[in-house]
Amino acid sequence: MQKKRAFQIEAFKHRVVVDPKYAEKTWKVLEHAIHEIYNHNASGLSFEELYRNAYNMVLHKFGEKLYTGLVMTMTTHLKEISQSIESAQGEIFLDELNRKWVDHNKALQMIRDILMYMDRTFIPSNHKTPVHELGLNLWRDVVIHSSKTQARLLDTLLELVLRERNGEVINRGLMRNIIKMLMDLGLPVYQHDFEKHFLDVSANFYCCESQKFIESCDCGDYLKKAERRLNEELERVSHYLDPRSEMKITNVVEKEMIESHMHTLVHMENSGLVSMLVDDKYEDLQRMYNLFRRVPAGLTIVKEVMTSFVRDTGKQLIMDPERLRDPVDFVQRLLDLKDKYDRIITMSFNNDKTFQNALNSSFEYFINLNARSPEFISLFVDDKLRRGLKGVGEEDVEVVLDKVMMLFRYLQEKDVFEKYYKQHLAKRLLSGKTVSDDAERSLIVKLKTECGYQFTSKLEGMFTDMKTSHDTMQGFYAGQGAELGDGPTLSVQVLTTGSWPTQPSPPCNLPTEILGVCDRFRTYYLGTHNGRRLSWQTNMGTADLKATFGKGQKHELNVSTYQMCVLMLFNNVERLTCKEIEQATAIPMSDLRRCLQSLACVKGKNVLRKEPMSKDIAEDDAFFFNDKFTSKFFKVKIGTVVAQRESEPENLETRQRVEEDRKPQIEAAIVRIMKSRRTLDHNNIVAEVTKQLQSRFLPNPVVIKKRIESLIEREFLERDKVDRKLYRYLA
Amino acid sequence: MGFQTDRVKFNVGGRVMETTATTLANAGRNSMFGAMFDDNWNLILSSNKEGERFLDRNPDCFGILLDLLRTGELHIPPNIPEKLLYREALYYGVLDHVRSAKWGPFDGNRLRLSQSLQGQAPGDGTAIRAGPDGGCCVAHGSMVHVYDWMLDEHPPLNLDYQRVNDVGWVDSDNVVIGVSERLGRGDGGMGLFSSHSGELRYKFQVCHENQVKSYTAGALSFSSDYKIFSSCKGRSNEYGVGVWDQVTGKQIDFFSEPLGWSLGDADKLQWLEGCNCLLVATMFPRKDNCYISLLDFREKKMVWCWSDVGAPFAVDEKRVRDAIAMEDNSSICVVNEFEDLGFMDLRSSAATGIRWSSRSRLMKGKMPEEPCYPKLALHGGQLFSSMNDCISVFCGPEWVLTSRLRRSYGGSICDFSIGGDRLFALHSEENVFDIWETPTPPII
Repeated sequence: MQKKRAFQIEAFKHRVVVDPKYAEKTWKVLEHAIHEIYNHNASGLSFEELYRNAYNMVLHKFGEKLYTGLVMTMTTHLKEISQSIESAQGEIFLDELNRKWVDHNKALQMIRDILMYMDRTFIPSNHKTPVHELGLNLWRDVVIHSSKTQARLLDTLLELVLRERNGEVINRGLMRNIIKMLMDLGLPVYQHDFEKHFLDVSANFYCCESQKFIESCDCGDYLKKAERRLNEELERVSHYLDPRSEMKITNVVEKEMIESHMHTLVHMENSGLVSMLVDDKYEDLQRMYNLFRRVPAGLTIVKEVMTSFVRDTGKQLIMDPERLRDPVDFVQRLLDLKDKYDRIITMSFNNDKTFQNALNSSFEYFINLNARSPEFISLFVDDKLRRGLKGVGEEDVEVVLDKVMMLFRYLQEKDVFEKYYKQHLAKRLLSGKTVSDDAERSLIVKLKTECGYQFTSKLEGMFTDMKTSHDTMQGFYAGQGAELGDGPTLSVQVLTTGSWPTQPSPPCNLPTEILGVCDRFRTYYLGTHNGRRLSWQTNMGTADLKATFGKGQKHELNVSTYQMCVLMLFNNVERLTCKEIEQATAIPMSDLRRCLQSLACVKGKNVLRKEPMSKDIAEDDAFFFNDKFTSKFFKVKIGTVVAQRESEPENLETRQRVEEDRKPQIEAAIVRIMKSRRTLDHNNIVAEVTKQLQSRFLPNPVVIKKRIESLIEREFLERDKVDRKLYRYLA
Repeated sequence: MGFQTDRVKFNVGGRVMETTATTLANAGRNSMFGAMFDDNWNLILSSNKEGERFLDRNPDCFGILLDLLRTGELHIPPNIPEKLLYREALYYGVLDHVRSAKWGPFDGNRLRLSQSLQGQAPGDGTAIRAGPDGGCCVAHGSMVHVYDWMLDEHPPLNLDYQRVNDVGWVDSDNVVIGVSERLGRGDGGMGLFSSHSGELRYKFQVCHENQVKSYTAGALSFSSDYKIFSSCKGRSNEYGVGVWDQVTGKQIDFFSEPLGWSLGDADKLQWLEGCNCLLVATMFPRKDNCYISLLDFREKKMVWCWSDVGAPFAVDEKRVRDAIAMEDNSSICVVNEFEDLGFMDLRSSAATGIRWSSRSRLMKGKMPEEPCYPKLALHGGQLFSSMNDCISVFCGPEWVLTSRLRRSYGGSICDFSIGGDRLFALHSEENVFDIWETPTPPII
């Protein structure tokens, strides 16, 4: 067999590189161009030619050579630059750095333009760093991180910041450029080479400074300085730092200047929070609020100190026996206190809800420390509605009433307030002393929206009674006026039993002159209304008497019904003893004493003369008609000596009545709850009852327990046979 | 860019052409023209006496590209090979301009078949995925073939030569493939590859009790905040859906499969950007039943679920074969093997049932010999479903059938995908895939 001839297959030459030194030559051209670019001598270069050369190198698989060549050339240039920057002396160091950085950026842009094709094709497919990024990285490694420059740059920057903090003017533009350079080199460079140290140095600086300030300044000044420093740092960030540093540097200032000293500041003697509150230093307070808001727990401290101070102040006010003598003044002081703090919260604390809540809870706390607060508030309203609001515009009335409502909201024992309010309202209505019907009704509406319909239904009933009485009287006189002739004019207010806080009192003996017309009215009224009973409340009426004195002087006397009865007796006799008057009129002795006191012992109103001339009334004292009575007024109002505030026993009585009234309410609440829940344990019942009733009063758990027991007795509830703590509802 | 004069004269490969700097400025700063006219380069001095600037390039291609910059439209004469033009465009740095002028914005009702490509892989295709810039990748068995938008093929991808279950584009440079594990070897799982060079960048691990476990990666999905989701199936407790960070390559979360449900075998994952949930669907042939659920990873909660467990199938054999969530309509669309569309409401927390649309074509008895299960896709408010050898397009609130794309060659469509304003359809026979494009807008 013939041996097959072995073929030799030559490698296919797909490309003929004409010049073996082609790559070297082309690179030389490009390298030269890069030199020229760095030497600001690019005007002689042909962009097209360089672009084509770079393209050809990549195309002919010399991309790697081109890339490594670029890295080496750029590194060499950057080393030169680095040396020239290092040799820059003193002040011009940053200038030089900045100038070279601008140059480098421009050169880098041009180099990238030439090598665009490599950037687009060779670099992504070979996972190299793109030219622009490469230029930045080399700048970072060769220039910024060179052993001499790195520390010097940081020191220079920090020193400039320090000088600016100390009030010198620095070249912010240059500073901005350098910082911008660090940021362009990547966030980590900025953070590690500058920001970290900047924050450390700042913390140190502010730690020392705040220590100095706290020793030498009062609280207000300190806060002003802290605020100014904070603003300076914000300004610094906006001028030449990365916006992301803002949070960090403000945190440093906040921590060093505020957080570490906040307790000292708040409690600073003579200038801390308390004295700011006392002196209404709105600006200082606002500054404190704004600064403390920035640090954790800052506002909590402010709030706590304010709360405890308000509580103390309030407690002092509430407990001061001096103040308790004048309820109107007492309430006015409460309102003033509230106004003061409301103003502080509005003007200085940004209307912060949490501060408002803290203030409210403080008021609630100390107002309820005094069991008489409900009474006093009602008295305050009474005073305002009697005379306080005279000549005051409608809107101002609303303002006063709203404030009262605000105090009312703090009350836990709203039912006590209701009780007093009813009494006071009754007095106002019956004596016709109320200044403005609108104001009265407006307050009722407010109470209604606050506490619901049932709270005010009786109060509204009182107003209805007044209205119907007015109509009845008109009817009475329209029908019978002619027959009455010119006898005494009668005005009757028919009050529904139950709506009014009347204490039953035995009727006194009315003078015969009056009795006639009274009986006529009774017949008229009972004739128009079937099945009703009328009884006279002589202890509550008033009368106008015409009296002629010694020298023919005529006066109109405005007196109470009791006083009228007494005076009418003197139409027929000169002298009567107290005992005789009591027998003739049947007025209870305690009332009679007061009544006589006001007729005989008040200067300028003494239409009766008393023997002996003492203040106290004894049973045997004699009374005469005072012939010599004079007054410059035609109308003389003779008040009754009444205790405006309740006396101690009356007070106890009111409380007892309130307690009595609460019982059915508690029972009703228990039954309501049990009806829906069927079974419930003791603690839950107490909790729910308290919740249901707290809009009216705070029920005592012991009382609730008693009511439950009473309900068990009456077989509304039973105890569970196994679990004695569990109650069942019996339908 | 400051131009001394607006007129520019080029001598390209011997042919003198004149244009304006304004026209060239259309190429953008990031092109050769942009750099050339930058202030750094002194324009006047570098031109010769006649004021010409010499470029050693193909004049015909330069003319075409110049027209592209002038009009924004691309017209390639038949005598110029596209590849030559692309190469020239790359030189000038205007390749992106060419790509965006090559075909119009996607509209399912105006698609034209642009090209069919024959792959060389043996056996049936598994999946085709359109890339964001008009490229695509095709999974066959254990290999993934990658094509760029010029339909040039790049080095193929494989992960330990294991069977590919799903593949997806993270962005135009990166492709993730999920493959089956090889028992006991620690092979398989999921890998991130460069679409240019085919090189493996990350291999994603599943950790269970601090131990790296091998697993089978099933369906894939990606979120815009660089998360990669994959259904995972390991041998012990690694059933569920894993989450990886695409930047670091680390596993960041795992949603374990609850008892009586299916997550690890899922055929389809879909990340829903709006409601921050992942749709996980396991369909019939893989499991006996179909399970569709929405997972909320932040609360580790299944916020919506549906299954056909216990549903009577004997009646009409309506088994769900693919599902897709439509966030705009708050519903999930499903399809059965007869290409009936069904809809489920996403707003009620537990689906009550599927509302099948009545357009059943009742294909019973005339199925082709090698059926492909229907697939669904949603793009720009249009719903696409593939069935046998054609793709149907549905539009409007009632999902009316508006177009049908069909080619007779290549057999049934086993998968299709929309992306980069193109639709790719992979046929189960012959390894052919079609590229459908919307023509550029009319001149007037």
